Amino acid sequence: MSDSSGVGAGAGGGDARGSSTLGGPGPLDRWFALRLDETRVWDALAPGPALEVVQTRISSAPQSFLAESISLRALTGDVLAEAPEHVRTTAAAIADGAQRDPASRQGAALALWLWASHELLAPFRPELDVRWAHSSIGALAFRLAPLVEPRRWLADGESREEAARLFLLWSGRTPAGEDAATARARWERRDTIARDAALRELVADEEHRRRVQAALAEKRAAEAAARYSHE
Amino acid sequence: MSDAGAAVPAAESGPADLLLPHYVPGSTVALSDDERWPALPAAARAHLDSVLAHPAAPVWRHRVGHRLDPAAVERARTELPTDDWLPAHLDAVRELPAYRGLRGRLHALDDFPLVSRAELAADIGGFVPRDADLSRLVQGSSSGSTGAALRLPDDIEDVARTFWLVHRLLAGLGVDWRPDPRRLALALVVHQRQAFTYVSPVPGFIAEGGDGGAGATGRSADGQTLMARLNLDPRDWPTTDRIAFLRDQDPQLISGNPSSLATLLEPATAAVLNPLAIVSGALHLTPALRAALETRFGVPVLDLYGLHETRPIAWRADDGPFRVLDTRVLVETVDAAGRPAGAARGELVVTAGSNPLLPLARYRTGDHGRLVERDGRPAIADLEGREHVEFVTAGGRAINTVDLTQYLQDAGALAWSLVQRADGSVTARVAGGDPERAARSIRALLAQPVELDRVARPIDLGEGKPRRFLRES
Repeated sequence: MSDSSGVGAGAGGGDARGSSTLGGPGPLDRWFALRLDETRVWDALAPGPALEVVQTRISSAPQSFLAESISLRALTGDVLAEAPEHVRTTAAAIADGAQRDPASRQGAALALWLWASHELLAPFRPELDVRWAHSSIGALAFRLAPLVEPRRWLADGESREEAARLFLLWSGRTPAGEDAATARARWERRDTIARDAALRELVADEEHRRRVQAALAEKRAAEAAARYSHE
Repeated sequence: MSDAGAAVPAAESGPADLLLPHYVPGSTVALSDDERWPALPAAARAHLDSVLAHPAAPVWRHRVGHRLDPAAVERARTELPTDDWLPAHLDAVRELPAYRGLRGRLHALDDFPLVSRAELAADIGGFVPRDADLSRLVQGSSSGSTGAALRLPDDIEDVARTFWLVHRLLAGLGVDWRPDPRRLALALVVHQRQAFTYVSPVPGFIAEGGDGGAGATGRSADGQTLMARLNLDPRDWPTTDRIAFLRDQDPQLISGNPSSLATLLEPATAAVLNPLAIVSGALHLTPALRAALETRFGVPVLDLYGLHETRPIAWRADDGPFRVLDTRVLVETVDAAGRPAGAARGELVVTAGSNPLLPLARYRTGDHGRLVERDGRPAIADLEGREHVEFVTAGGRAINTVDLTQYLQDAGALAWSLVQRADGSVTARVAGGDPERAARSIRALLAQPVELDRVARPIDLGEGKPRRFLRES
């Protein structure tokens, strides 16, 4: 799974690290904690269903999915019953992390609705690959929902397109009729983060953190340098 | 601690096959020699090879260099300017990713929150400047006295600058330390079951005009001096080899923690040493051990206080308060609630600007002391390490362990480890001095049973950073 999707090993909500350590939680902390590689995912895409189909399904989400009383953990278990173990485990952790926050809860529920619609309405053409389910749920719950209220995905065309494009991206698919370059250019025009300087800085901070972690983990760095005193 | 030595199992000797994977010789080598020792002349390389090949040399478990090109070597020789350094330093800290949520709220130093080891451990990347040159990053490791080792970004120039800081401090004590390629410039000594051992050129510490063909051992004609990291533990390096190697290499300076420095006092080892000075770090150097070293070798003993996270903070060459360095370092003390402690004893909080990869503002060291003045400059009195705890008397009164330290020091103890159990009884493991006398005083002060366990040497208290005081709950 991780080979084809660019999805790392991190599980939702299970990472103790908060990105904005000293200033309280940041809006994208849970997304960063999933440790999904936003640069690599673009190299792993396969052709997917039409964008309009996904948008229409978002619009037609049953109210029951958006209800405050919904148990995301139970919903995840039902919708992803046939998914591989690690997908179900990660998705359950994301569900737990999203449950208490209304926006993230509705974002996750809408992603789960899209996966459920395969059976409840009709399969997507081409079909989605369930091995990507958790990353698409995480993206709608923790990357988009904290910035754009899921209610707006239903009411506003541009927000709905953003949600649909993000869902397809983290399901490992390009919209039908778009190559990766086109899909990326159109995505960046819709992406709330790309259009907001402060949010872009948060993402740049996170990329920097990963570069530092990688540099620290390099064998070249581990060779250290000669020292002259004890500390 | 300066490396993964902290990961070595406890002091008890184990079977030889306990060798940890990263101590297998060469297992951590990733660079070429040209990267490790840029621009090292052939003659200096031959010199280095001759030390590596010395018949009594230890097993060299690592290959380490300073990694500096000639321009960087020159930069590292100069202390970073300190004129009005703090405003620019705080600007750099404000811009760190970890502080993003506090932007606009951090005006003066007081506005910065205290940060601790836990925050660094949780988000080390957030404390590295976005514009840092990561090609200069090497991995440092800080063991602390509890908890897992913390992986830290060290800067290769900053690491090399420490050598010149020590050189400058010793010059201030009248030590005339000049490059002499016939001798090791520096022996960094440890005493642990297994350790990284290596030889490396000292960046920029080069005799002018070479050494004039000094000697039969083929030593460098270009004047480049060398340092070596050595493990004094006889389980790792036979004592006869240790003595033969040290006799031949005759280190000018010996740097170590108190436990390893105490090993130098073994008569056969001391007899072959002629250091210009001794540098102690990492652990509390007791007056008794300082006196023993000064008496035996007749040279200054520089006690350097610092944390890997902050780099060197303060120094002393006697048993008085530690003088805060004139480098980019600023020391405050805070009480248990994090408020300024004023003249009272408190936790030392350090703002440190030496390491460009880890600029720190108000870092909680976990160490305690009192801020005083010494010769008109800030200094730290009654410095106690992270093990700072309070013992309790039979009547339930709290006793500061500084008082116990006083008894133990007065009794001439070289090192100790005291544990107070939940039932109030104390086990005192003490090396050197007259521990019976100390035990009597402690018994009287606490009105608790004190069981005394004398050990022969400080190292017998354990490797790494054995806790001097521990109270079990």
